[in-house]
Amino acid sequence: MSEKVIAINHLQKKFGKFLALKDVTFEVKKGEVFGFIGPNGAGKSTTIRTLLGILRASGGTATIFGKDVWQDAVQIHKRLAYVPGDVYLWPNLTGGEIIDLFLKLNHQQHNARTDELIKQFELDPSKKTRTYSKGNRQKVALIAAFSTDADLYIFDEPTSGLDPLNEEIFQKQVLALKQDGKSILLSSHILSEVEHMCDRIGIIREGRLIETGTLNEMRHLTRTLITVQTQSSLPDLRNYNGIHDFKLAKDVINKASFSVDSDKMGAVMTLLAPLSITALQSTPPTLEDLFLRYYQNDEHGDDHHEI
Amino acid sequence: MKSSNYQQSLFLTRFNLKRDGLLILVWVLVLSLLMSAVAFKFNDLYGTKDAISSIVLTLKTPAMVSLFGAFTAKAPYTTADIFASEMMVFMALFMAIMNIYFAVRNTRGEESNGTVELIAAHAVGKQSPLLAATIELFLINLFMGCLFFLGIQISGMTGMSTIGNLLTGSGLAACGFLFGSSSLFMAQISDNPRGATMLSYLFLGVTYLIRMITDVKNADWTYLSPFGWVEKLSIYDQNNWLPVLFMLSLTTVLLLLTFYANRHRDVGAGLLTTRGGRKRATFLLSGPFTLVMRLDRLSLIAWILGLCVMGISYGSIFGTVGDILKANPMMGSLLGKNALNAASHLIVLKFAALLLIVFAVLATVPSMQTLLRINNDERKGWLEQIHAKAISRNHIFISYVAVALIMGTFTLLAAIFGMWLANAAVMKDPLTLTRLLRGFWGYLPALYVILGIGALLVGWLPKLQAIIWLLPIYGLISLYFGNLMNIPKWAQQITPYGWINQVPVNNVNWTNFGLLLLLALILFIVGFIGYQKRDLLEN
Repeated sequence: MSEKVIAINHLQKKFGKFLALKDVTFEVKKGEVFGFIGPNGAGKSTTIRTLLGILRASGGTATIFGKDVWQDAVQIHKRLAYVPGDVYLWPNLTGGEIIDLFLKLNHQQHNARTDELIKQFELDPSKKTRTYSKGNRQKVALIAAFSTDADLYIFDEPTSGLDPLNEEIFQKQVLALKQDGKSILLSSHILSEVEHMCDRIGIIREGRLIETGTLNEMRHLTRTLITVQTQSSLPDLRNYNGIHDFKLAKDVINKASFSVDSDKMGAVMTLLAPLSITALQSTPPTLEDLFLRYYQNDEHGDDHHEI
Repeated sequence: MKSSNYQQSLFLTRFNLKRDGLLILVWVLVLSLLMSAVAFKFNDLYGTKDAISSIVLTLKTPAMVSLFGAFTAKAPYTTADIFASEMMVFMALFMAIMNIYFAVRNTRGEESNGTVELIAAHAVGKQSPLLAATIELFLINLFMGCLFFLGIQISGMTGMSTIGNLLTGSGLAACGFLFGSSSLFMAQISDNPRGATMLSYLFLGVTYLIRMITDVKNADWTYLSPFGWVEKLSIYDQNNWLPVLFMLSLTTVLLLLTFYANRHRDVGAGLLTTRGGRKRATFLLSGPFTLVMRLDRLSLIAWILGLCVMGISYGSIFGTVGDILKANPMMGSLLGKNALNAASHLIVLKFAALLLIVFAVLATVPSMQTLLRINNDERKGWLEQIHAKAISRNHIFISYVAVALIMGTFTLLAAIFGMWLANAAVMKDPLTLTRLLRGFWGYLPALYVILGIGALLVGWLPKLQAIIWLLPIYGLISLYFGNLMNIPKWAQQITPYGWINQVPVNNVNWTNFGLLLLLALILFIVGFIGYQKRDLLEN
């Protein structure tokens, strides 16, 4: 299982003087779903376009299936399917025609699975793509990719135009691919999407890959925001291990809000339970929180960090 | 008509003008400089009585009438009469092209890229974007007309008059606005910019051909074509303002229809709507080449038909063009029948040689468009997924190049074929297809070299690729007016169109043919190397 499908080493990409990718290093192993997350403009799409041989790397190396992504692009692409973040299609062709064309370009045919996917995603393939919405254009690319038999699937923010129902179909399809032992690179800025599906995660910010690991390994990075109200008097938990930014409410007694390291959640709950909780609100950590941590770490050094 | 329908129109107009400022400036400067430069040069060219009387003889030949319009001025002729006769039809054509460009771009173009939707969501009237586009067109034409007037006014051309200069400016401006308004109307009919442009050119093409044929057969009938009205202004001779009134009236009708249609439709919709299509791709859509072919299918058919009809129209006047006796009855007694036939053939062949320059330039347009799509489609994001397939850049580049070559080859062939077809029908002693095809073999390599230069830009200077259009524009002007305006030989030979030696009058120079093809091949290869080495464009 440890065979590398994608291996990127100190990848750099310059556009004129602007260094879009400063240092990106990660790998995707065979059979895993790798989540590639970062805010807009961090370099996700640039990395992916370099992987596809659309852009030429300015430094470092990148290989897929052990082959160079620039030199051997065609060989690599025979075993690859890709869905871009913004799908643009020829306005005077129909969705159905484009799906078939994409399959043929990989020497594959429209098959029963294609029909099944068209039905699941509820796409009308007889319409010209000029009349499609963003979501429908995305469906065309997704249907073509999912019905392609490939070894590596690359999705660049694939659900940005999909409604929750279609998003769920997408997630199911990705999990099905994973069961078949396919490798998947999924770029996203929605943490929950990545959490559902990914085995490992890489975080990119300002052209630098700053962290890779499993979600569990990254738990230290995620804190849950808790607001609690109790009947018994609420002690000051300011210095309790794993609790941060503890604030007592000014106008209501026994009410406080604070954030908890995800791995200390159990202990904190045990502590609160005897105090007769009347209201408890927890907000899961967002990608934003994750990045905020990094900003903090950059500015103040490693505060409150327990590994 | 509620005024709230037009709220903020003037604000939008100002915004549009700011946005299009540079483009407008380029168009306006190029056209007005062209016009004034010619006016300035004309005293030198046609200052003497001899020069004037010899050019008048030329301009009265049917061939020249078909190209520049009927020469109707009364003797004694002045320099200004020649100027008006040579320039009006030509400039009107450019005015129409400019207006179609801006009209489609600012209405249907904005609508299909979603800008109109964004704007309509603000406190602007439903018809404000259309009104703003109309006002903008009006202002461009007004500006253009003023510059034409001023340019000629200060040129000091012999025989001109202020009233005639004013009429020139007003007539061309009104003609431009007329075709702009027709295009605004077409933008309501079709639901996409490409369709609107095609319909606009259909209208322009039909009116131009009616003008051409009626001019040669019987100039009174030229009133039938709105395009022909510019000729009826009879500038510096009668100075007839009536056609301007005609133009403004038709413009008003077209605008009323446009606004009516616009009021009664949804944003994004058109009278001709996009129909559904196949659920599955046929074998005709199975790779990059067939894809490009499919995308340009409509354009290919339209251009082939268009140029064929144009060829037929010009071919149909070959009989009149070659009729020496009509222009000079004395010739019949001087020359024998055989000599007469040969002389008449020569005239027709010379006419065909001039037409071929026009055809070659026109064949460049769709083929160059296809070639430039390599980058334009890329920028639209259409190719991103193709690049992620097992398709090399090689394959993609060659597919576009191949379709571009097919486009150019077949449109040029269609024009010549049309010309032969009509000539065979009207002439007693028609030119053979082989003879006319000399023009095809002559100009084909020049066309390929120009496409090769295009490929070079596509590969190495993708952001500046649009400058390639200077070649056909300059080529057309330098060669079309080459002899009439004494443009020096070297200046005529700057573009590859000028490297071809008078086919079909002369034989095809096969050495040149081979060398030019080789040059084209080298250009394509160098262009391809650039394309292969660089980053692709991102949207």
